[in-house]
Amino acid sequence: MTSHAASHVEHDPNIGITGLDHRKMGMWAFLGSECMFFGSLIGTYLSYKGKSLSGPTPHEILNIPLTSVSAFVLLMSSVLMVLALAAVQRNDMKWAKVWLFSTAMFGAGFVGFQIFEFTHFVNLGLTLRTNLFGSTFFTLTGFHGAHVTGGVIWLLALWALALRGKLGPQDALKVELCGLYWHFVDIVWIAIFTLVYLIP
Amino acid sequence: MAQSHATAQAHGAGGGHATVATYLRIAVVLAIVTAVEIALIYIPGLPSHVLVALLIVMSVVKFALVVGFYMHLRYDARLLTALFVGPLSIACAIILALMALFGAFLLLPRS
Repeated sequence: MTSHAASHVEHDPNIGITGLDHRKMGMWAFLGSECMFFGSLIGTYLSYKGKSLSGPTPHEILNIPLTSVSAFVLLMSSVLMVLALAAVQRNDMKWAKVWLFSTAMFGAGFVGFQIFEFTHFVNLGLTLRTNLFGSTFFTLTGFHGAHVTGGVIWLLALWALALRGKLGPQDALKVELCGLYWHFVDIVWIAIFTLVYLIP
Repeated sequence: MAQSHATAQAHGAGGGHATVATYLRIAVVLAIVTAVEIALIYIPGLPSHVLVALLIVMSVVKFALVVGFYMHLRYDARLLTALFVGPLSIACAIILALMALFGAFLLLPRS
């Protein structure tokens, strides 16, 4: 039994010569590439900041109180995500389902805030084609919103697996990978919130 | 047993994860820092460069807390830290380079 267990460890195809899981390394490498992607978008936004020839300009249109609420919602969804992972790891699937679904709903709430904000801005005359602020703002925050939407779909897929009894502590890595992605979209928003909304 | 050992080896590679109590403490800190950030922009007369510096420092603190504790990088193998911090450094360089290319750091007024 012991030798069988030892050979199982040796031949786990997911563990490479580094002793780390390939899937986890792949996720971190992906997140590294995403850093450069969002770095380019943020850099472009900051480069064009204040160079629009016509309005609306950021200080005329950005709604800090509303965005603060949505930023807080996304930040707190990260807490729910770690609680979901902790619940899966200790085989507490009842709470894992609750936290996974709550995280997805907080994420959906954030996307809802963003849809409202975009619609409001379009009604005020700011579109992707209005000025440099519109182009860079909608591209940056739109790509972030798309990432959050992808994360919500991933979370709901895990929740559906949990509901069908197909998610357990042996699948903790699946939840951890989703969590890494989710926390990443959160930290990107931490940067966007400060650089786009708070800094005058 | 073997699988859980392999999983632990693959995940941990250098120690345990934070406890739920730690996660909740971090959440409180994140909420407080966010509230302070928002409050700062409503302080009248605060010099712009001080405000920008404070906001950037606080967002870096929030970023580091999430990456270190919620993403477990503080407890994981250093190779994973390198996989993330390397491209993150390049991303920061890209931001600064783009801003320099487009004249964001010019001290003289543009004609």
